[in-house]
Amino acid sequence: MNFLTVVIRGLMRRPVRTGLTLLGISIGIAAVVALVGISRGFETSWASGMKTRGTDIVVSSMGNALTPKPFDAAVQKRIAALPNVAATCGLLVELMGVESSDMMIVSARDWGGFSWKNLKIIAGRMPHDGAEKAVVLGKTAAEILKKKPGDKLQLENDELDVVGIVDGGAVVEDGSIILALEQLQEISGTQGKINIIDLRVTPGSTEAERTRLKQAITEIIPEARAVVASEHIRNSQAYRMINAMSWGTSLLAVLVGILGVMNTMLMTVFERKQEICILLAIGWKRRRIVNMILLESALLGLFGGIVGVVIGIIGVKLLQATPAIRGMLEPDLNIMLLLSSIGIAVVVGVLSGLYPAWRSSRLTPSLALQG
Amino acid sequence: MNPAVSTHPTDSGVLYEARDLTKKYDDGQVHALRGLDFTIRSGECLSIIGPSGCGKTTLLQMLGALDRPSGGTLNYRGESLSDHRDASAYRAGEVGFVFQSFHLLPTFTAAENVQLPMFESTRPGDERRERAVELLDAVGLAHRKDQFPSKLSGGERQRVAIARSLANGPSVLLADEPTGNLDSENTGIILELLFRLHQEQKMTLVLITHDMGIARRTPRAVQMKDGRIVFDGKSADLPAFNS
Repeated sequence: MNFLTVVIRGLMRRPVRTGLTLLGISIGIAAVVALVGISRGFETSWASGMKTRGTDIVVSSMGNALTPKPFDAAVQKRIAALPNVAATCGLLVELMGVESSDMMIVSARDWGGFSWKNLKIIAGRMPHDGAEKAVVLGKTAAEILKKKPGDKLQLENDELDVVGIVDGGAVVEDGSIILALEQLQEISGTQGKINIIDLRVTPGSTEAERTRLKQAITEIIPEARAVVASEHIRNSQAYRMINAMSWGTSLLAVLVGILGVMNTMLMTVFERKQEICILLAIGWKRRRIVNMILLESALLGLFGGIVGVVIGIIGVKLLQATPAIRGMLEPDLNIMLLLSSIGIAVVVGVLSGLYPAWRSSRLTPSLALQG
Repeated sequence: MNPAVSTHPTDSGVLYEARDLTKKYDDGQVHALRGLDFTIRSGECLSIIGPSGCGKTTLLQMLGALDRPSGGTLNYRGESLSDHRDASAYRAGEVGFVFQSFHLLPTFTAAENVQLPMFESTRPGDERRERAVELLDAVGLAHRKDQFPSKLSGGERQRVAIARSLANGPSVLLADEPTGNLDSENTGIILELLFRLHQEQKMTLVLITHDMGIARRTPRAVQMKDGRIVFDGKSADLPAFNS
């Protein structure tokens, strides 16, 4: 028998209570994993979509919505003329309810622009030209909408032909309805407007040149920002709000976990008062008692963290399959997030055990002779 | 053994020496011990007897450094116990406790209970296990080593508790009413065991009891009443009292 056995026996003394406490921490950690994973996933999914389209810089005006505010499409020509700009592609990206789906990404692009090039036809064909009233569906979007080439798609008040299914190479692209810019402008009554400019810089451009380019773009269109593609979504206030809410909710869940462990450990100390006094009476140092209580609570945190990560992953996978989220993001459950979550759980355990451990260290061994 | 306390008896062989030992509780409202003077020599076997509330358990707490005196001095091997910086090391190395209610930890087997005090020694895990089995064998319970306390009889539990008290090879065994919760048959077994261990291991045995019959089995008896020693001598001369 080693010290760890002593600690585990302490936890197993009340298996139901230990189990419930563990579940409490697990739910808190599952919330951290799920909320932060989804929030980060939103960022990485959008970044990966940009990367797939070969975009270096994104010009947009991210306001309070998840999609950028529209601006005059004419600025695109002026930006295209700037030094170090290799190519531009104007986009109008909206989130809208489409037929049976509550929310889908509708991504309209300059016909012939480079943002079409990453799309690989897996069924049907591409639209003949920008004037054709047609859409191609990302493969996930096609599954969600249950559409195949030859079907019709109702977009607002217009009916368009589904002419092809594409593999976009990224979750966001695969979950999108993709059409020519002029088609969506007509449908949504936003003629002459775009809300994103995908921009490729000239190969070999230096960092200083890129910075100057971004400044020049801001001078042309002051209400918009030119940012590196991977940072684009971070400029959205809505995204920031979602991110803050994710962390806020996670923090609350963790706080509940702390109170749960503290309550359990305090109960443990009160219940095992005489047991602790006996250990003191037979020569255990107070430091060892404190270590025992802290290790018990740290183990509660560790096991709770591991179970929480598993619950979190399962929860995220289930959420990912729901129609509201499917095709819009791929949760970012990277190993660092999972390990950090377990780390948070262990810290929660140790912090929760501090007060009970201090209480246990104040007990007097003479109580062992009572009762 | 506690390295902070000398393990060699003083020249006089005096183990404990109390002078005007006092203990008060509740801001001085309760006088549990009122100026006790006594000595206990190394290897002695004595009983402390008296009615409930006479202060005998309080005295045991002082001897075991479970509590500090309010006044006077109590020396162990010439060193003041109340000034002792590391009481836990003294308890772990110098004394073994046997409690009336056994106080075995329910989630540990007999052998594991015996190992518990050894966590404060330098013994590695294997040695702790071997030593626990040896001690259980010494109290005739090696075959019950893997049983949890709930599966043991009262007498067996007390024998496990005695084995536990011997874990770190103490110089003194402090037994608080060790047969108080046992029937007469087990009382006999436990007393025989304690006296045998005292003889074989040359340990000092301090036995708290309110039973005249038990007190008369130790060579020396200290009788207490209202926090004072009213008799200290040969147990054969012990005057009767109402418990």
